[in-house]
Amino acid sequence: MSKTINIARYNPEQDSQPQLQAFQVDSDHSTSVLDALLQVQQQDPSLGFRWSCRMAICGSCGVMVNGIPKLGCKTFLRDYPDEVTVSALAHFVVEKDLIVDMQPFLAHLSAVKPYLINDQQNAEPHRQTPAQLAKYQQFANCINCGLCYSACPQFGLNPEFLGPAAITLAQRYNLDSRDQGKAARMPELNSKNGVWGCTFVGFCSEVCPKKVDPAAAINQGKVASAGDFIISMFKP
Amino acid sequence: MIQKNAPPKRSDEPVWWALFSAGGVCFAVVVPGAILALALLPALGVITADSLSYPRISELLYQSLWGLAGLAFVGSVICLPLFHAAHRIHHGLHDLQLGGGLLSKVLCYGSAAVISLLALYLIS
Amino acid sequence: MVVKKKSAPGPYQPVMARTWWLQHRYFQMYMLREATVLPLLFFIGCLLYGLYCLNLGEVQWQHWLAFMAQPWVVLLNLLAFIASLFHAKTFFELFPRVMPLARPGLMIAGQWLATLLVATGLVLLLGGWL
Repeated sequence: MSKTINIARYNPEQDSQPQLQAFQVDSDHSTSVLDALLQVQQQDPSLGFRWSCRMAICGSCGVMVNGIPKLGCKTFLRDYPDEVTVSALAHFVVEKDLIVDMQPFLAHLSAVKPYLINDQQNAEPHRQTPAQLAKYQQFANCINCGLCYSACPQFGLNPEFLGPAAITLAQRYNLDSRDQGKAARMPELNSKNGVWGCTFVGFCSEVCPKKVDPAAAINQGKVASAGDFIISMFKP
Repeated sequence: MIQKNAPPKRSDEPVWWALFSAGGVCFAVVVPGAILALALLPALGVITADSLSYPRISELLYQSLWGLAGLAFVGSVICLPLFHAAHRIHHGLHDLQLGGGLLSKVLCYGSAAVISLLALYLIS
Repeated sequence: MVVKKKSAPGPYQPVMARTWWLQHRYFQMYMLREATVLPLLFFIGCLLYGLYCLNLGEVQWQHWLAFMAQPWVVLLNLLAFIASLFHAKTFFELFPRVMPLARPGLMIAGQWLATLLVATGLVLLLGGWL
């Protein structure tokens, strides 16, 4: 079955803004949006987009499908009986066609020190009980695809906002029993561009392909930051 | 890349967020009953003018539980919901790209504080 | 002399329209949730007026009762009532995610029970049945 797919094209050497271009693709029950883009690239090799694993784990094929952030490989044309419009991830600078500059996202991720911080020089492994693992496990499933940033109006309004994935990752390490880095992470979270930039719109959690629930992580982070605020009042 | 040395400034948002949350609980738990009992059921005639008479309401508000009943009512139906509303309007203005800066912050929380004090003065 | 080369537009910086929240149902519901405070403010205004009247005395209090019975006031307060219930629904659903203290279903049911108990108490008290 042939299907029309509209793609927002942008050529940085000529265009002032993205323009929709329609393509015809063969579509059956198993055709994903990524499959369709690969077909289009056969017709027009100048189409630019990112992809890698085809199985929703690398997180590189994020695009807007009919205005909603989606992984191209996890979204199927069969679910769009009418038209499908694919454009670059919202709130990011478009380099070309469907390729965006992820640098601001990566900078926000690294700002929260997303790694275990532990001074103990110990050859022994850090043991962790299933209950200790359960505290942060859901928040550890993030694949850094950036869909939550495209779903977040607060990030769109204020690019300095650390955003859903970064704050979730901070929370993931703060809740890890092996970690001692909470004090180093809290200043970023306590700022107006940290957890307090969020108004619990909640769309980030709706679009997350891994069901991480970043909105819950951020708002649990608000409770933690409020606690940190109270503690700071009693410190000299 | 520029290395940021100074940690970012701590936000005072925990204060407003705590008031917003407390007000949100009141708005959800106490306000529906208050609207029913003071506006809708009297209009339907279920609650009569006699039971809302001047001496009865004055006594409930100013005297019962040593005046604490009136304080609890004003706190949970007027003051805290006002701060809840101020918070949502302040952030809503930011969402609509109409404000969200210091001016709207002062205006929103400032008027919530002034009206709260006025309400507390009226039951004192 | 340096001839300025005609520069290419370069990367595209998207702009966020003020009407962004109209674009999706999800964002419309978010704005509706935020807007529940507007009818709430009307009800609070009514109460402040009531407290003021109560301070002035019995005659003014009667005026307030009459004011509250006017159709447009009742209608706006009905709107405030619906808004408070919609706010309650969203607030109760978000709370277990912010503070996961018990099973979400249990927490949501508990919060609705609290609203029901308070409403029953207020109606019985102000209706003169308590």
